[in-house]
Amino acid sequence: MNASRILAIARRIAQGFRRDERTLGLMFVVPLVVTSLLGWVLRDTKDTTVRIEIVNSDQVVGARIVSALSGLAGDPANGIVIAGTVATKGEAIDQIKAGNADLALVIPTDLVATVTAGQRPTLTVITEGTEPGAEASQFGKLQKAVATLAGSLAPPGSTPALIPQITHETVYLSPGADQVDVLAPIFLGFFGYFFVFLLTGISFLRERIGGTLERLLATPVTRTEIVFGYSLGFGAFATIQVIVLTLFILNSISVPAIGPLPPFSIGLGVGSAGSPVLAFLIALLLSIGAVNLGIFLSTFARTELQVIQFIPLVIVPQGLLGGLLTPVNQLPDALNVIAHVLPLTYAIEGLREVMLKGADLSSRVVQTDILVLAGIAIFFIVLASTTIKREVA
Amino acid sequence: MSAAMAAPALAVEAIGLQKRFGEIQAVDGIDLALAPGRIYGLLGPNGSGKTTLIRLLTGLARATGGEARILGTKMPSRPMLAQIGYMPQAEAIYPDLSVGENLTFFARLEGKSDPAAIDRVLDLVELAGRKGTPALELSGGMRRRLSLACTLVHEPKVLFLDEPTVGVDPALRVQFWTHFRRLAAAGTTILVASHVMDEADRCDELVFVRNGKVIGRGTGAELRSNAGTDNLEAAFLILSGLDPEGRPLDGGAAA
Repeated sequence: MNASRILAIARRIAQGFRRDERTLGLMFVVPLVVTSLLGWVLRDTKDTTVRIEIVNSDQVVGARIVSALSGLAGDPANGIVIAGTVATKGEAIDQIKAGNADLALVIPTDLVATVTAGQRPTLTVITEGTEPGAEASQFGKLQKAVATLAGSLAPPGSTPALIPQITHETVYLSPGADQVDVLAPIFLGFFGYFFVFLLTGISFLRERIGGTLERLLATPVTRTEIVFGYSLGFGAFATIQVIVLTLFILNSISVPAIGPLPPFSIGLGVGSAGSPVLAFLIALLLSIGAVNLGIFLSTFARTELQVIQFIPLVIVPQGLLGGLLTPVNQLPDALNVIAHVLPLTYAIEGLREVMLKGADLSSRVVQTDILVLAGIAIFFIVLASTTIKREVA
Repeated sequence: MSAAMAAPALAVEAIGLQKRFGEIQAVDGIDLALAPGRIYGLLGPNGSGKTTLIRLLTGLARATGGEARILGTKMPSRPMLAQIGYMPQAEAIYPDLSVGENLTFFARLEGKSDPAAIDRVLDLVELAGRKGTPALELSGGMRRRLSLACTLVHEPKVLFLDEPTVGVDPALRVQFWTHFRRLAAAGTTILVASHVMDEADRCDELVFVRNGKVIGRGTGAELRSNAGTDNLEAAFLILSGLDPEGRPLDGGAAA
């Protein structure tokens, strides 16, 4: 043990840092940026007004509930608004699917009879079912409003007011869906993006610093051929990754107890409503964009370490803003704008539509997501080939 | 253009070639006229512009003045690259691919996929027994040999070799030169950038460069007699305007 040798090593590390200003900067700046972004997302998530569709099957009492709820909606503090009144549950579900309402309150036909018999009436609340966290808070607001209204539920003259029971139904998935079901599409998009970006970035950086890129350019190969070759090569691996991950997420295989090992299951067993092929197409478009983003950003790195440093700048914010923490439409306005230029936002939206809601190619949302992802992929392909050109200037 | 390609008088031509990087004039008006089937040595100290000159000639860099022609075609020209072999100073091979896979890859990029050609270059660089070995596991000298093999695999008409024998042992170096001579006899034009003077003497003709300018050209014997000395190293120093006994050029590399 020799102190001067230990100090020599420590000093060598400090000297290396001094020459690598970027690493030094990132070490201090990035945690601040990411932390404040996280704080911003969590603190300033918009407390949106809950749009309620009322299914009024009981004309007499229902009308009174509607007018009482409308009265409550008049006070912004209650955070509710009446989106409309329909006669059947089916119509209300259509309104939720179309995005015109957040949830539906079903007033049962036997409401008066139940209350007259002195029993607690049951109201049904229908939510979309794809955002348990956000829906729970909407649900809470409605519950509060209903409790306030309990008095007006009873027919005139009857006492005491009965607090109604509320049962929960969902348009998609089941009311018992857990966070894993809902996060599955996000996992799929996030990992597809993350690994492909990292691997291409490092791989292309090696081409640049190892002299092989220069060597390639001394052959008749074109820049576009290089970029397409990379997209195809890494795209193939991304494909396998997406397939494996999709199978793991959608299936669950029970393994019986072996010796001292207790029985366990492999896979998450999340139910996908839509076509796995479509989900797969979305993930593939996303990863082609990631390949070319990796090529592009490798221009700005001199070492593998610097490629890794792009993770907190490129990957983490996309995760934070793409819907992992908060539904994108509840992000603060400024962040909402940023989220809508990030590819992961569109991929996650598309994957959720397909996997959770069973959307197919006829869905406008899925169409838009696919077009935007394809556009982003093309944009980065062009950008990536431009950087290869510049190298040779 | 096809007529020019059919019977080019010159394999490599540079006319007032210039390359400026900001304040630095890396190549400062170089003229070259290299005839087919000859071996030329490009000699000069580190930083004299040898590599930049080769990059201009191959079209990898764009000239800021003058022009370069290969087999009569103005560079940069992508189709002409199939006629060129360029071995850069860096090893420029894929460490995670095997010897054979590296060769197949470069052959395919050049539009050739003859397995026999791969075996021929493997024999030449004495790596035939290592075809399946990952390049990562090769010694420094072997990687250098593989890099040369990748340059030769498509049988180019014009070869640019940037320090091809660094790290190659003397016995194999002799074999390399025997092969270069054989290629030249078959009509290949070779430009070798080097600072090893005993290698320089194996070239048909030498070009001395310093600070991006040609300071002397001719056969080794001509250069020696012009400088009035019997060794090339001294000839270079004298042509550089330096005292032969005077300050050494960086790292002796200039010699």
